[in-house]
Amino acid sequence: MEGFFARERTVAPPGYNRWLVPPAALSIHLCIGQAYAFSVFNGPLTKVIGISAPAPDDWTLPALGWIFSIAIVFLGLSAAFGGRWVESGGPRRAMFLSACCFGGGFLVAALGVHTHMLWLVYLGYGVIGGIGLGIGYISPVSTLIKWFPDRPGMATGLAIMGFGGGAMIGSPLSVWLMHAFAGPSSVGVAETFVVMGLLYFAMMMFGVLTVRVPAEGWRPAGYVPPAQPKKLVTSANVHVDTAIRTPQFWLLWLVLCLNVTAGIGVLGQASVMSQEMFPGVITPTAAAGFVGLLSLFNMAGRFLWSSTSDFIGRKPTYAIYFALGVVLYSLVPWTGQIGSVALFVAFYAVILSMYGGGFATIPAYLRDMFGTMHVGAIHGRLLTAWSAAGILGPVLVNYIRQYQVDRGVPPSAAYSETMYIMAGLLVLGFICNALVRPVDARHHHREQPEPAPALAE
Amino acid sequence: MRVLVYWLIVGIPLLFGVSMTLINAAQLFH
Repeated sequence: MEGFFARERTVAPPGYNRWLVPPAALSIHLCIGQAYAFSVFNGPLTKVIGISAPAPDDWTLPALGWIFSIAIVFLGLSAAFGGRWVESGGPRRAMFLSACCFGGGFLVAALGVHTHMLWLVYLGYGVIGGIGLGIGYISPVSTLIKWFPDRPGMATGLAIMGFGGGAMIGSPLSVWLMHAFAGPSSVGVAETFVVMGLLYFAMMMFGVLTVRVPAEGWRPAGYVPPAQPKKLVTSANVHVDTAIRTPQFWLLWLVLCLNVTAGIGVLGQASVMSQEMFPGVITPTAAAGFVGLLSLFNMAGRFLWSSTSDFIGRKPTYAIYFALGVVLYSLVPWTGQIGSVALFVAFYAVILSMYGGGFATIPAYLRDMFGTMHVGAIHGRLLTAWSAAGILGPVLVNYIRQYQVDRGVPPSAAYSETMYIMAGLLVLGFICNALVRPVDARHHHREQPEPAPALAE
Repeated sequence: MRVLVYWLIVGIPLLFGVSMTLINAAQLFH
């Protein structure tokens, strides 16, 4: 069994079609992306005892909010600390652990719901599932980069797009299953958790069984690495422990953190904001549609922007995210003043596409800076920026908004200040990105992989 | 052929999710 998961067993034979690999990565990301749709369980989980309405002993929404928060914390921790383990053992072992944790987490959480023990749900979905999220998120990154040295942005964008799409599958699937299992004595959540745990495990096993790594020195047919590499694309490698001691790592950490903070800040209030800026025009139902549309742009942006970065370069791509972001964030309040719903939706759609693009382009940016040797592990450590932004974004937005409302500013106007502050964060991000320079040669790893003759794909 | 099958395995669930989201998003324009 140990042998089956070994990296050597996953090395692709000569002539292997590299386009068989992205579906393996997508199968993992499409499943773990369900985490973004966890909120659909919150309502039913407040009625596990009362069924039709919350009973006094039922769980409260604030207590349930911790399930998602714990999962995201463990995502960050496992990605940061498990990165080297993922790199050393190869993608199959990591994907299998991820499948066991994510699927198993659902089963433990189901037991927690069935026995009405919240700590068991925290442990199941939060801790165990969160580890599955973190390990699963980083598991295919370096493999894809090695298979697509000519298009690393597109390849990782494909996988990370799956994470955006996962919520779109998870949300209607959960609602449908809960509806099917709900009855006079159950809200159907425990049964739904069991089915989803098994379904997701099976889907992730597809990735476990089909993932392959390229042979050492493999190159796509016809691909010749540029003799004169671009200034910001290294042909050397940097060890993960060395990488986190370079200014480049922390500049990129800030780049990701600021881009995500601004995105999360506006994403969280998109529904309420649209209704308050256009009272009577955007109804609650239309606002739900608006949020759905944003998730589509979030997903599409992951693929489109990261693919574009292969042509225009990573640094210019982030410069566009920040510069265009500043303009659009600043203009959103203006769309409310002129009463243009179409412009409001269009601006928000582009903003969300760049939010998703920021996530998807960062692995390729790391590859350009630090090489392919430990890119998965370095990416794992960089994801702590996501965890930090997950706390910073909502706290900042809620604090600013409350401060404005306490000062007597009308709710619709309070959003303007928020947008301007988010634009300010993007200016900081622009500066951090502009400061990125190639990693100093003294940080390069001494053992360089020897180039091998190109093999036919 | 194998490539097509692999992509369908992940593509069909994704298409389902995108369709459901589009149906939901259509409410914005009603």
